[in-house]
Amino acid sequence: MKFTAEQIIDKSAKWVISFFIASAGLWLLAAALLAYCAAAKLTDPFFLSTFEFFTYGKVKIAQANAFVYGWGGNSIFAVSIWIIARLAQAELRGRFLLIASGIIWNVGITLGLLGILDGHMNAHEMLEMPREIWPLLFISYSVIASFIIVTHRSRSKHETIAPQWFILASLLWFPALFIIAWNGLEINPARGTLQAVLSMWFGQSLIWLWLTPFALGVAYYLIPAITGRPIDKYYLAIFGFWCIALLAPWSVVHHLEGGPVPMWIPAIGTVMSIAMIFPIAVASTNFHATAFKDIDIVWNNLPLRFVIFGTLSYTISSYIGVVFSLPAVAKLTQFSIINEFHFNQRVYGFFSMIVFGAVYHMLPRVTGKDIPVGAKSFHFWTSALGVLMLLLAYLIGGLTHGVLAQQPSLDWASSVIASIRPYFLITQIAFVILGLSQLVFVINIWKVLFPNPFQFLNNSSNDSAKNAVA
Amino acid sequence: MAPAKFDGMKDDDMVEIHSNLGREKHPPTKGFLVAPLIFVFGCLIFVCSIQLAHSTNSFQVHPPQEIVELTEEEKEALRLERKLDSGKKIFTSKCASCHQPNGLGIATQYPPLAGSEWVSANPELITKIILKGLKGEITVKGEKYGTSPAANMVAVPINDREIANVSTYVRNAWGNSASEVFESDVADIRTNTAGQNEQWIGEALQSEYLSGASTE
Ligand code: HEC
Repeated sequence: MKFTAEQIIDKSAKWVISFFIASAGLWLLAAALLAYCAAAKLTDPFFLSTFEFFTYGKVKIAQANAFVYGWGGNSIFAVSIWIIARLAQAELRGRFLLIASGIIWNVGITLGLLGILDGHMNAHEMLEMPREIWPLLFISYSVIASFIIVTHRSRSKHETIAPQWFILASLLWFPALFIIAWNGLEINPARGTLQAVLSMWFGQSLIWLWLTPFALGVAYYLIPAITGRPIDKYYLAIFGFWCIALLAPWSVVHHLEGGPVPMWIPAIGTVMSIAMIFPIAVASTNFHATAFKDIDIVWNNLPLRFVIFGTLSYTISSYIGVVFSLPAVAKLTQFSIINEFHFNQRVYGFFSMIVFGAVYHMLPRVTGKDIPVGAKSFHFWTSALGVLMLLLAYLIGGLTHGVLAQQPSLDWASSVIASIRPYFLITQIAFVILGLSQLVFVINIWKVLFPNPFQFLNNSSNDSAKNAVA
Repeated sequence: MAPAKFDGMKDDDMVEIHSNLGREKHPPTKGFLVAPLIFVFGCLIFVCSIQLAHSTNSFQVHPPQEIVELTEEEKEALRLERKLDSGKKIFTSKCASCHQPNGLGIATQYPPLAGSEWVSANPELITKIILKGLKGEITVKGEKYGTSPAANMVAVPINDREIANVSTYVRNAWGNSASEVFESDVADIRTNTAGQNEQWIGEALQSEYLSGASTE
């Protein structure tokens, strides 16, 4: 039998991708559970309050880490392996080492989360897992990223295109950010304010330079791959890429507005955030001008619908983010639950939606089996509903919170907390909906990946039966 | 095998097509109107530079000092407020043990300062009392004090400014309302009475300063 080039590539990557997607799914569920616990604690402080492991501070941090490193990390590996191999038209290299480092990565995160729940937290944003875990994670990450780059280097065509830039850059930026932050926080700890600035910078840049460019790269790949049209105004993409690379690490510091840091830091952050309008506009022109030429495909093709939801959410909320970075507005919203809006928008509304789309596009090709349409569209609609509820609740609740908190005459418990409590209730419901939809997603991908998990039992029992007969 | 409903684009073609697109030379006008673009760019750069100029505080490490412009009246009010605050502190530590924090004194022992005609009289009087002390019989608000030799007041060892502050406070607390006492006047009185070691005698001061007031 003759295989096409694509089929050979897919076969070479099948087990690695299955491993990473399967683990990503489990982390997604873990994160959903923790997210619900954290949200429930805000409406009912006595929820699970008798367990020391489950205090709010620990659960909340564990959730963010499970989400970003567990779900984010694994799905980034899976999807970038596939897209990079496909675009390079080269078979995947180093399969064994990839799976081995993948196991180390996942064990590392598991230990790290247990460490967090046990109280061995590290006090730096998104570096909360205990110190001892990080070398493990860093090495396994480096191995995985190196093999993806090796695969890319063996590409058949010399030229590279937008999805490759974004995905490879995100693969390289994470270790770069990590080394800078780790050096300045642990190896040669910076003194005073600088440490707080660095810690906050890492936490935010991680989202802007790791998750965001990756998801943008996936969108740059999937939109032409599905619609069959080349990216519209493609010549802008390179401009958008360098804008993100140069502006994003500066723009994130606007979150320090009003903090005890030299004033020029948040001021530069604000200016750079305003300048971020360019890359946002470029990405959204590229995506939407291409996709909306056939609104039909967007509507009918589920992976594409997920991706376009993600890119739309990226565009809209990034613009909202620019508005919130203006000092006049930031003064109001700085210390409110608006921060939750930014985080959840990035990781749920944008990153995860695009990854869902990519997984639905990729799995049937890699495994040769399709996921039932009903499950997919249930997943889409519940996700969309959950995300919208979550984001609106955090946005409106955050504004209310910020404005009320500015009035010292109001009594804190009886008026401020009481008036944002309903929003916490909404987020709690939203997390239930999201959890449900993610459960459906994970069950379905597991069913496709391991259609008959107990097959080996049957085989071996058959064998032994045969042996017995013989 | 792939169950795609739409043909989509093969990866090979995708790389090919986009590489070609990337190689193409684009005149800057293609697909975009230059004028509005430049305008938007210009506006953004303008807004950004204003924002930078306003809020970077010339890249200094420390936040700027708040410079608040006060009118003359506000300055005066602020000065008086500070003087009274300081006077209150001095009163609590140096005088309240005898005259009590509420300024009412203790019957037959320590005369009241609240509503006392001694306090509100010529500022020289209270200054002199604090500087040198007071003994002998006096009448305050119609009551007699200092009837026993033990019940007298010794000089309070504080400097001119403190005397000015505490007298100003006493003359304006608990419903009293009399003029401010100035440091320079206190200094004058101190030099004028430099030779005196004894306490003042109650009747002498009373007849000098309060002859009209205490007729009873
Ligand atoms: C050791 C106790 C004592 C202290 C301390 C003291 N006084 Fe007196 N003061 C007296 C006595 C006793 C008299 C009455 C003396 C007399 O009758 O001869 C008096 C009288 C006065 C009078 C005149 C009578 C009146 O009530 O108006 C004034 C004014 C006065 N004191 C102010 C002060 C001030 C101001 C201070 C603090 C800087 C002060 N005293 C601290 C015991 C004290």
